Amino acid sequence: MAPVIDIKNITKEFKVLNRREGLAGSIKDLFSRDYKIVKAVDNVTMSIEQGEIVGYLGPNGAGKSTTIKMMTGVLEPTSGEILVNGRLPYKNRSKNAQNIGVVFGQRSQLWWALPLVESFKLLKDIYQISDEQYDGMMKLYQSLVDIEPLLHKPVRQMSLGQRTLSDILAAFLHDPKIVFLDEPTIGLDVSMKAKIRTLIQALNKEKNTTVILTTHDMGDVDALCRRIVIIDKGKMLYDNDISHLKGFFGSYRTLKIRVDGDLKKESEQIAKEFPVCKVSADDEWISILVDEAKITVMEVLTKLQKERRVRDMQLEEISTEDVIKKIYEEGVE
Amino acid sequence: MKRKGLLFYTRLYFKILAQDLKSKMSYRADFIISTIGMIFTNIAGFVSFWILFRNFSTINGWGYYEMLFLYGFSLVALTPVQCLFDNNWSLRQYVYTGDFIKYCFRPINLFFYYQSEVFDIKGLGQLAFGLGTLIYSWIKLGLGFTPLMLVKMVIFLLTASLVMVALQNAAAATCFWIQNSFYILDLVTKFKDYAKYPVTIFSKAFRFVFTFIMPIAFIAYYPSLIILRPDEVELLSWLSPLIAVVFFFISYKIWMFGAMKYNGTGS
Amino acid sequence: MNLKKYLTLTRMGVMESLQFRLSMLVIFAGNLLYLVVVYFLWKAIYASSGEEVVNGMTFHDTLIYLVLATALFNFMEMYTVWQMGRAIQSGSIVLYLLKPMEIRRYMFWEYSGNFVVNFCATLLPTFIVVNVVTRGAVPLGMNLLYFVIAVVIAVMINYNIDFFVGTICLYTESIWGINIMKQVIVLLLSGATIPLAFFPETIRNIVNWLPFQSIYNAPLTLLLGKSADIKDVAVTIGTQLIWLAVTYAISKLFWKISLPQITVNGG
Repeated sequence: MAPVIDIKNITKEFKVLNRREGLAGSIKDLFSRDYKIVKAVDNVTMSIEQGEIVGYLGPNGAGKSTTIKMMTGVLEPTSGEILVNGRLPYKNRSKNAQNIGVVFGQRSQLWWALPLVESFKLLKDIYQISDEQYDGMMKLYQSLVDIEPLLHKPVRQMSLGQRTLSDILAAFLHDPKIVFLDEPTIGLDVSMKAKIRTLIQALNKEKNTTVILTTHDMGDVDALCRRIVIIDKGKMLYDNDISHLKGFFGSYRTLKIRVDGDLKKESEQIAKEFPVCKVSADDEWISILVDEAKITVMEVLTKLQKERRVRDMQLEEISTEDVIKKIYEEGVE
Repeated sequence: MKRKGLLFYTRLYFKILAQDLKSKMSYRADFIISTIGMIFTNIAGFVSFWILFRNFSTINGWGYYEMLFLYGFSLVALTPVQCLFDNNWSLRQYVYTGDFIKYCFRPINLFFYYQSEVFDIKGLGQLAFGLGTLIYSWIKLGLGFTPLMLVKMVIFLLTASLVMVALQNAAAATCFWIQNSFYILDLVTKFKDYAKYPVTIFSKAFRFVFTFIMPIAFIAYYPSLIILRPDEVELLSWLSPLIAVVFFFISYKIWMFGAMKYNGTGS
Repeated sequence: MNLKKYLTLTRMGVMESLQFRLSMLVIFAGNLLYLVVVYFLWKAIYASSGEEVVNGMTFHDTLIYLVLATALFNFMEMYTVWQMGRAIQSGSIVLYLLKPMEIRRYMFWEYSGNFVVNFCATLLPTFIVVNVVTRGAVPLGMNLLYFVIAVVIAVMINYNIDFFVGTICLYTESIWGINIMKQVIVLLLSGATIPLAFFPETIRNIVNWLPFQSIYNAPLTLLLGKSADIKDVAVTIGTQLIWLAVTYAISKLFWKISLPQITVNGG
């Protein structure tokens, strides 16, 4: 089957005004302006299949929204090729819109003063959703979340969590092939985040909808995405499975132990015993960074127990957050 | 997918409009105060007009009731821009905050969707005021009445409305390019106040300006000549419906072009 | 009083307004067109009346009066009502309250930079143009000093009224409606649209007892005043000062009474 989104070498350039500083600068700006070209998206290629949930990550200003705007047909790429559902989105913006849904975590697209159900009815007309499909969707929603109390509440009286939930439901209402979620869990409490994630997963499964998720919350990524794409300064840094990502900097795990005696001295001793590991100590724990490509944690632990009494231990996986942080900071070699 | 014809858009328009009215009703105090404000504006406009004519009985050969006719005509002609295209005033705000993007993701015409979202009821007060003035001066002038005149009246009122709508669209669209476009919109809105004067008071050069560059003479003067002074109708009066449509089309294109261009710059 | 902190705000305001070079151009063009309309309209009016002097004012007098009134209006327009209304609706009014300066002072000085720009961009050029075109119709003497004093007082009276009206926004969501009512009343009753001399006797008597004429009519009368009688000057400025004190007291008191409303609205 052809990919639902197919992007080849797209680049998007913007002209940006250089503003001068200070009062004198403002006066100069009055008469002459100085522009520079910025590449917001630089030669990005990716292809996404129907039904995938892809985490689209990158620091602020990396070019995420620009890419999404190109996929939704709002922006035309400066160069390169982009096909969504087999169509050029920019040339067919309103046809393309029929097949996509968009949610911005901070910007509700619902009618502010109206009860949610009225917004749904308007969307039903705008997207020309048939009665059966609409009823089917409402049934599905009812089975997934407790929607009844929300339906008759004006959007402006909703909590942020309820609003986000409603926005997501609204985006899926016309059964689009692709849904773009931009920071859907921003500003939400832990339980609401979990609720939203479950909902997205369920809708993806039920409708086989492709979901493109941009977020800064690695909890979202861990809960939802199998595949992630990382972009920074317009360039693509990473496009692969999330499991692969964890092994990206070698398969590191941190073993923490507590033993009898002086931790400082013990840690120096351990460092000598395991030259391939990095060992450090604080007041409570000795931390041993183990590269499992060279030696397994179990081997280390067994050896340690022979020599001394291990009173307590912890094993820390390197988190997605740590890896992403490392990629943002250092890039990919 | 079904085709989106005129019928689809008409039906949708009324549905979206109905929702907007429902929203408005939930802010009742605002609605009442705005309506009073609108009535105030119209009364003040009329009072200035009246004070002026207390001192002078004719202006450039135009008598009190003829001027009143022009005044009423311009008020009625300005109703559509007030009622149906009021969302243009918020455009700047939507663009500034980036919220404008939400209009771009729907499978319907962007301009249509944006404008349909707001219906400004207080414009109806202006309509009533304008109609009253128009009918009163019509009777006082003894213009007579035939069905043909009514048809002409409706056509030329629509013409005048379309010109103002076009001017406002173009003015509002400037916010896609420049940051503080409020002044431009405000300027164009002030222009409509000048529409009620006969263009003959101006010198040749400015008659040209107000006809072709800032076409405010089409908001009341040229179209109303057809009824008011049928013997002096200029060619431009007859052409005005066509000109209005062209103006509107151009302004629509500018608006859409701006919307597409803007989306690139917002974050 | 530490003047420096106020001047910092002024400087920021100047910089900010310069960023909007287009808005300045537009304001300029808008004024120019307005002047054109006013010129031709009143020329036609005087030509039709067949008299040189109407209500003690010649065509020249009227024109200079209206031109300068417009320049003065643009100079004094502060959009305080909108700013307050928006701040109240969004809840950001709380941020103003946290500033180490009283809100009414802060907002005034925050805007004051625009006075500098507006003075250079509109008021001064208009004045020079008027005087060149009319070959020195405005006398250049003590009246300039009186005018400056009167304008400074007028700006403050205008701000007091604006602040008072802005405070009303604490009670209602309607910014547009409230602002338009204020604008209409001030413009008409201050003599900015039609010189007060043209008003019917009874209305003029009432208007004279209202604060609005102190905003436009008072400075302009002083500027154009042919009699440099110091007693007239003293009366005019004295009246202004009384109105300044009254509007200041009322708007301050009203704000103080209304402040508890903020906690009700939340923020």
